[in-house]
Amino acid sequence: MKYILGFFGVIVLLVIVVSFGGCVSYNGLVSRSQAVDQQWAQVQNVYQRRADLVPNLVATVQGSANFEKSTLTDVIQARAAATSVNVNTNAAPNDPNQLEQFDKAQGELSRSLGRLLVTVEAYPDLKSSKNFLTLQAQLEGTENRISTERGRFNDVTKDYNTKVQSFPSMIVARMGGFTPKPYFTATPAAQTVPPVNFNFDGGSPTTAH
Amino acid sequence: MTAVVSFSPARSLAADTYPQRPDRFLNDYAHVISVSDTAQLEAQLHKFEVDTSNNVMVAIFPKLPSTSSVADYSIHLYEAWKPGLKDKENGVILAIYIQDRQLFIVPGYGLEGALPDATCKQIIDDEITPKFKAGDYYGGIQSGVNAILQATRGEYKGTGHLPDWVFPIGIFLLIFLLQFLSRRYTSFGSTGRRSGWYVGGGGWGGGGGWSGGGGGSSGPSSWGGSTGGGGAGGSW
Repeated sequence: MKYILGFFGVIVLLVIVVSFGGCVSYNGLVSRSQAVDQQWAQVQNVYQRRADLVPNLVATVQGSANFEKSTLTDVIQARAAATSVNVNTNAAPNDPNQLEQFDKAQGELSRSLGRLLVTVEAYPDLKSSKNFLTLQAQLEGTENRISTERGRFNDVTKDYNTKVQSFPSMIVARMGGFTPKPYFTATPAAQTVPPVNFNFDGGSPTTAH
Repeated sequence: MTAVVSFSPARSLAADTYPQRPDRFLNDYAHVISVSDTAQLEAQLHKFEVDTSNNVMVAIFPKLPSTSSVADYSIHLYEAWKPGLKDKENGVILAIYIQDRQLFIVPGYGLEGALPDATCKQIIDDEITPKFKAGDYYGGIQSGVNAILQATRGEYKGTGHLPDWVFPIGIFLLIFLLQFLSRRYTSFGSTGRRSGWYVGGGGWGGGGGWSGGGGGSSGPSSWGGSTGGGGAGGSW
C-alpha cells in the first residue's frame, strides 16, 4: 500500500513538473511568436513609408523638362506590383514562398528607385532642386529604416525558431502547432561581411580632463 | 539543404565590434580635436542634456571600423550606446569617420519629428561638410552640433539623466529626514510608533535596488533610447 501511494506520489509530482514546464514553454513560444508578428508589422510600416514617398518623387521628377520616361514608368510599375502583393500585415508569414514573393516585389522597387536616382544625375537642375534633395534624403533614410527593421525581424525570428526547434520546448511547439518562420534573405552585399576586430586606437578618446 | 539556407538569418554574419557606451558626450577616438575644444563642446552637450534631457552624442573614428556601410555601422552604434531616455527615445548620434571622409547622423525614435532625414541631410551638407572640406573638424562639428541642438530644443523638457551619485544621495537625505522626523515624533509618541518609523526607514534602504540594477541603469530616468534607423549621411 505504501509503495503504491509513493508510486502515485511520484507520478503526480512528475505530471505537475512536466505540465508546469509545458506552460512555461508554451508562454515563451507565444510571446516570441508575438514579437515576430510585431516586428513584421514594423517592417510593413517602413515599406509603406517608402511606397508613400514614391508619388511625391514621381511628381517632382515629372515636372522636370523632358525627363527620361522609361525609368519613371519602371518605378511606377514596381510600386504598383509591390503594393499589390497580398500579405497579412498583422502576422508574419509562415510560408517561405510568400515571404520571398513579397521580398522580390519590394526588391524590384528598390532597384527601380536606385536606377531613377542614377538617371537624375544627368539632370543638374533637377538634382540640385530643393524638392528633389529633400525627397532623396527621405528615400535614403527610408532604405536604412527598411534594412534596420528587416535585421530586427531576422533577430526576433531567430529567437523564436530556436525556441521552436530546441528541446524541450520543441515538444510543446509540435503539440501547439508552432512551426519555424522564414527569414529575410540578405542582399548579396550584406552577405560578404567578414568579421572585423578593430582596436579603437588604444581605446582612449580625447577627453576634457 | 536549401531549407537550412532559407532558415538561417543573415544578420549574424556582421560581427562588428563597438566601443562600450562612454560616460562622455564627445568621444574623439581619432584625436582630431584639441583638449580645450573638447572640454567646451562636452560642457555644451552636457548642459543641453540637463536642460532638455535630449542626449546628443558625438563619436569621431579614425576610420570606419567595419566593412559594412557607414549608415549600417552608425545605426548599430546607436543600438549599442542607446542614447536618450528610455521613455522618450530622445538621443542623437553624430558619427564621423575621418579617413573615409564620411559621416552620419542617427536620431532616436523620439527625435525623428525634430530631425527628419531631410533636416539631417541639410545639417550635414550646409553646416558640417563645408568646414570639414577646409580641414576644420572642430568648426564643422561645432556648427553641426549647434544645428542639432537648435532643431531638437523644445522637443522635450525637464532634467535629463541624473548623474549616478544623485540618487543614492537622495535616498540618504530621505533616510536622514525620516530619522529626524521619527526622533521628533517619538518625543511625543509611544515606542510602538518609533519602531514603526524604523521599519519605514528599512523599506527605503531596500530601495538600494535602484543602484543595484547596475549596468548603466540607475535611477528612474535611465538610458535606453532606440532608433528606427533613420537619419542621413554625407561625405566631404
